[in-house]
Amino acid sequence: MKPFLDMQLGDRIVTLMAALVLVLQIAMVTQRWIVVHIRIFAAQSLFLAMIAATIAWFNHAPHIYAAAALTVVVKVILVPILFERLVVRMKIHEEIEPIVNVPISVVISGGLTLVGYVVAESFYRPEMPGLGHNALAVAISLFLIGFFNMINRRKALTQVLALLSLENGLFLAAISLTYGMPLIVELGIFFDVLVAAMVLGILVYRIRETFESMDVSRLRRLRG
Amino acid sequence: MIAELFLSGIVVWLAGAMASLALWRQPAAARRVTCGAALAGSLLDLAASAAAIFSGSPAVIGLPFGNPVFTWAVRLDPLSAYFNVTLAVLAAAVSLYSFGYLREMEGRRNLGAFGFFFNLLLLSLALVFTASNAFFFLVAWEVMALSSFFLISFEHEKEKTRNAGVLFLIMSHAGSGLMLIAFLVLASASGSLDFSSFHLLASRMPALQQGVVFLLFLFGFGVKAGLVPLHIWLPEAHPVAPSNVSALMSGIVIKTGIYGMARVFFDFYGAPPVWMGTVVLAIGVASALLGVLYALMEHDLKRLLAWHSIENIGIILMGFGAALMFRALGHGNLAALALIAALYHTFNHAMFKGLLFLGAGSVVQATHTRNMEKMGGLIRRMPVTALCFLVGAVAISGLPPLNGFVSEWLTYQALLAGFGTTQSLTRLMFPIAGSLLALTAALAAACFVKAFAIPFLALPRSAEAAEAREASFPMRAGMAVLAVGCVALGLGATWFVRVFDPITQQALGVRASSALVMARGLALSPGTAHGGTISTAGIALIFLLAGAAFAVPLAMRWSRRSVKGPVWDCGLPGLTADNEYTATAFSKPLRMIFSALYRPRREIQAEFEVSPHYPSAIRFESEIELTFEKRLYGPLRERIMAMANRMKGIQAGSINVYLAYIFITLILLLLFGVRG
Repeated sequence: MKPFLDMQLGDRIVTLMAALVLVLQIAMVTQRWIVVHIRIFAAQSLFLAMIAATIAWFNHAPHIYAAAALTVVVKVILVPILFERLVVRMKIHEEIEPIVNVPISVVISGGLTLVGYVVAESFYRPEMPGLGHNALAVAISLFLIGFFNMINRRKALTQVLALLSLENGLFLAAISLTYGMPLIVELGIFFDVLVAAMVLGILVYRIRETFESMDVSRLRRLRG
Repeated sequence: MIAELFLSGIVVWLAGAMASLALWRQPAAARRVTCGAALAGSLLDLAASAAAIFSGSPAVIGLPFGNPVFTWAVRLDPLSAYFNVTLAVLAAAVSLYSFGYLREMEGRRNLGAFGFFFNLLLLSLALVFTASNAFFFLVAWEVMALSSFFLISFEHEKEKTRNAGVLFLIMSHAGSGLMLIAFLVLASASGSLDFSSFHLLASRMPALQQGVVFLLFLFGFGVKAGLVPLHIWLPEAHPVAPSNVSALMSGIVIKTGIYGMARVFFDFYGAPPVWMGTVVLAIGVASALLGVLYALMEHDLKRLLAWHSIENIGIILMGFGAALMFRALGHGNLAALALIAALYHTFNHAMFKGLLFLGAGSVVQATHTRNMEKMGGLIRRMPVTALCFLVGAVAISGLPPLNGFVSEWLTYQALLAGFGTTQSLTRLMFPIAGSLLALTAALAAACFVKAFAIPFLALPRSAEAAEAREASFPMRAGMAVLAVGCVALGLGATWFVRVFDPITQQALGVRASSALVMARGLALSPGTAHGGTISTAGIALIFLLAGAAFAVPLAMRWSRRSVKGPVWDCGLPGLTADNEYTATAFSKPLRMIFSALYRPRREIQAEFEVSPHYPSAIRFESEIELTFEKRLYGPLRERIMAMANRMKGIQAGSINVYLAYIFITLILLLLFGVRG
């Protein structure tokens, strides 16, 4: 097989997966049930891992496999299990109450996707071969929508989920632009995510104990 | 060789900092390690920088740390090396002094922490003077500011100390902010952060930008140097710090501002417009005069010295201002003369102000008060301290033949020569500045008559002063080093001016010392048309001969018995120390003359029991108004508080709102980036 065709095939696969990841991100915005929210996140991370694996295959960059494997272990298995247990143990009310209602949230997400494409366009160099173009736009959109989702949630746990989906955007940007950072950096990031998830889990628990609620707007009381 | 010496000095200081921190449970060991490391580091630094001044090409030393944004490199060019020599000599004397001074604190205070910050301060000072790029410079600058802050706040159980520390920190950060902006402007113009890329850069910038950068640097460094009106932290912070720290603060930490200005004005600027020099000269005059005027009214010995630091910084700035003006007017030799005067005074001030603060520290430790009105008669109990303090007082008053005289005389000569350099009205600046410098020097002499006579002469005014004990041996040794320095820099002036040749060569392209030195190195002259000539060695010789003329007959009569009798008491028996002339009384005439500035307020309350003619007690209160604190900083503080209150509205206290702020900023920046 010629390497050029090879590359084009890879680009299509990556674009397809990236589209799925984006759809799942918007699904997260619309989702009202916390457990389903966690599972969508797991699915999104799984697709992300597949993108990473694809890039690793077409670019002959074996260390990205490790990143993909880590994504599966941490984001598809560990974090969702951790969070679902937290939901069960703390008897969290399962319905999410967003600040902005769902239809408007979807419209905003659409707008943010547009912003993502506009921004990514300015980085696009046609003479540079690669898998990056669409993936970068999707990555920026993921980041922005994740951020918006964080603003749009009242409970700490759901904000953490939004933060992790935002981090997925960063991961996608990193692998699509650089075809993999040095493995040590990747490892650091994964460790970071895991620690962040655990710390935030504990924090959520504490907030709950102190304020009898996970509603972060109660933190307003701390203001001087 | 220079590199190895310099680096080993740095390493010794660093090791001293860590070791004294580790030894905080054994105060005696911590004290020895602190002072020993500080002393050893200073000597190594002295050797490195003294060699570097004369080594022809500047030594560039890369430090073995990695960083993607900037390099950790130091560069010992003549200017850096000169300031490093100043640092090293002063630090060596202060470290010696600290062996004795810190002993009193053993077991009562955490000497481990003190030693850590003390060594860190010396380390960061050496790096500030040598850092060769803007970021490294700022890092060293902040380390210096923070370690100074911790040393100032060392006696933190007192509220006044804490307030002074916070004031220092606020002012220091305001200054760093200005500097940071100025450096970023320069960096964006040169495309690099290296100081070498800034060389003569500022002059190639547009006039407006050039002026703004100049003012940013002037005020940014001016905060640390203590220019009027940015001086308010000095008289608060210097007195409350331990005295060895005060000596370092006043002797060298404020000189980092001077170093920064020298670096910017004479390295980054090629031939600046005349107005810049005029501004610097005017600020110098204002600082010198106001500093000494407020010092005159001060009865807290260490606060008095702090006000004199402001005065001396003013004198140094006069030299800088004159040098800048001469350069703009195209008089290279005069510019070199003024620059030499300023840098010479920088070194001298480090010597005599360090000495005076160390002397004040000995006195304060012996009498447990900083109030001069409670001292008195210490010359009999602390003869060595008194002698050293006297040397410092003579030097700072600008009396021949000591070092203060030489540098102030050079400044005069530069200013006096300035009148003929231009036909425009700016030339009037020179005689005005010169006459105000003369007034300043005279007032300083008056002030030090008070500062020496009230604590050291006459009878003790309090029980503590009556029981004062002489300072311990290391303390006396530390003071003696600086006293010898003051004398040597005065008598050896003709030898010392050669040190400035590499500096003026680098800054102005002129080697001036051969024009300055006359009569085979015995006399100093400004090298101008109508300048004077002095010879400190000659003056000293005349003093010695005249002294001998008095002393020999006296000594011959000494064999006869001298008779001690009581002071005539106007027939009212029982004169006590309460009848002595006080510092308040001494400064009263000047308080009256300058009452427009001081706005003195006094209050007398008498209590009567039987008859209105025989009060049982009289309470007297007198205070002066600190104009800048009240009229400039008072309203400023209120304005800032009001603004902060209004800004509170943004602080909703909700995570979602904060996230939204970040989010909106991010989106705007992204879109802005795409457009741009």
